Amino acid sequence: MNIVEVERLTKRYGQENAAEELSFALEEGTATALIGPNGAGKTTTLSMLADLLSPTSGKVTMAKGLTIGFLPQYPQFFPWLTALEFTEMAAKLSGVETKKARLQATRTLEFVGLGTALTKKTGAFSGGMKQRLGLAQAIVHQPKLLLLDEPISALDPTGRREIMDLLKSLQQDTTILYSTHILNDAEEMTDQLLFMKDGRLIEQGSLSEVRDRHANPRIRIRFQNYAQAVEFAEGQAWGSEVKENSIFLPVQKSGPTMQQVLQVLASKKQDVLGVEFQTASLEEIFLKVVAGK
Amino acid sequence: MKHFGILMQKEWRENIRNYKIYWIPAIFILLGITEPAVNYFLPQILEASGGLPEGAVFEIPTPTPEQILMAVLQQFQTIGMAVLILAYMATIAGERKSGTATLLYVRPLSFSAYFLSKWVVAAAISLASVWLGFFSGYYYTRLFFGEVEIIKLLQMIGFYSFWVLLILTIVLAASAALPNGGLAAAAAFALYVLLQLADGLLGANWSVSPVKIPQYAATWLTGNPDLPSLWGAVGITVVIILVLFGFGSWISRKNKAKTKV
Amino acid sequence: MDQTTLILALLPILIIQLALMIFALVDLIKNPNPNGPKWMWGIFIVVINIIGPILYFVIGRKNY
Repeated sequence: MNIVEVERLTKRYGQENAAEELSFALEEGTATALIGPNGAGKTTTLSMLADLLSPTSGKVTMAKGLTIGFLPQYPQFFPWLTALEFTEMAAKLSGVETKKARLQATRTLEFVGLGTALTKKTGAFSGGMKQRLGLAQAIVHQPKLLLLDEPISALDPTGRREIMDLLKSLQQDTTILYSTHILNDAEEMTDQLLFMKDGRLIEQGSLSEVRDRHANPRIRIRFQNYAQAVEFAEGQAWGSEVKENSIFLPVQKSGPTMQQVLQVLASKKQDVLGVEFQTASLEEIFLKVVAGK
Repeated sequence: MKHFGILMQKEWRENIRNYKIYWIPAIFILLGITEPAVNYFLPQILEASGGLPEGAVFEIPTPTPEQILMAVLQQFQTIGMAVLILAYMATIAGERKSGTATLLYVRPLSFSAYFLSKWVVAAAISLASVWLGFFSGYYYTRLFFGEVEIIKLLQMIGFYSFWVLLILTIVLAASAALPNGGLAAAAAFALYVLLQLADGLLGANWSVSPVKIPQYAATWLTGNPDLPSLWGAVGITVVIILVLFGFGSWISRKNKAKTKV
Repeated sequence: MDQTTLILALLPILIIQLALMIFALVDLIKNPNPNGPKWMWGIFIVVINIIGPILYFVIGRKNY
């Protein structure tokens, strides 16, 4: 079931289109990665879904009674409140019962790893702690939909790992839409990919769909030297590309398969350094898609 | 109005932790004490500064206690109101500008509760400061210049309070409407001066102008307030304040897109 | 009114001014990120009576 449907959503500032004719849907319980370079319109899109910005045209349809948690890229806190005071207030404002709010806030802060900073003023928080607190205020009321703007970009590798694991553990009962430009993370937690550039969606689909369209699987054979590679390339029927000591054979429906390649190599008694199956990483796919549009 | 209570707690904490709850009353108490004290010591001050030629007899008429209290009110009208405008100019604009408001606005927030919570706390601190200021001024006036009936003072303070609330509401509404605290203060000051000017130039026939509240309030001391005009002015002030509540809540919601994300 | 009562009577003014100044100074020292150089605010607070501390609280404090 789709809990959010976005149709031709557009936000215009003067002549500039910050978001242009975006259409996509979020299925319940899935994670969607919104990927794009800086200035692509990711924050604008998330802000419209969070009802901070009203769209110039188009519409967002949400499931009835959908509760939302939102984490901005640079969350700002009242520096004179403690982490617990702030999270408790956030919970209450989002509709958590007064009696339960403190307990729920405490548990959430412990969950994001701020259990020892409950009574510390947020003004004294480091960047990483703020990011965690930002996550805590977004999830403290157990929303059905989580909107996260670059939730991990500002963290160090260890923190990034921890927050990714937290997010993954939330995925069971939460629908997540998050923006990122770190594609390794996107690859790890995504049911749907949305590529954005200059305010437009330039590619969308599941990871495997996008892979099928753009991954260009190839078989790479590494020879001792360039001459050997050229010689082999000329001696076979498959289209190939030679780069330094390697040749690359694009894998298509018509082949070649790995087995065919190995048979040919065996029959020619050709000595090679290695044979491997290569597929483009999400990052390469993204760069290709962005460059192509 | 569940949000009102939650947000008011936040405002209280803010005003305690940024010390407004201490320094604003301190300023008003100082203003209140200074007026009677300076007047009392004026002869000695003049003498000490050596401004008078030897043997000259310079008669300074001793002001009446009522005059001293009116002078206190004058101090509040200039420095006091400026302090309140400066203290609360950034109440809403500042939250948007720093981005701290974002995490409130993404929730199903009641913007009237949002505006009112700020108003109630700011009003409580401002009124308490004005009252404390007048009481300390009154104490010193009695000490140095003689008796004034307390009931007269209370009546003056009571009516003057409506004026204080009007100024405060204008500041908060300006803060909700404008992009930063500086502009909000400028707008509030401009309006303050314009209103006074307009009343001075054209106001001879407007007996029920809110701008006249301070001078009406002062007439309680001398005993002959023009009651119908005074109540009329208070009525209009209350209506303006209520309209500004509506405007402030509406414009806060409208400006929610301007918070820094 | 004799001299002593007078001085006693005026003591509150002195105390409030001093309290404002000390309050502002202590806050300035603890403030990790004031709006402007610390030494400048220090001079303002100490030299300009009443107005100095107010300016610091309104403009300089930045609500840390």
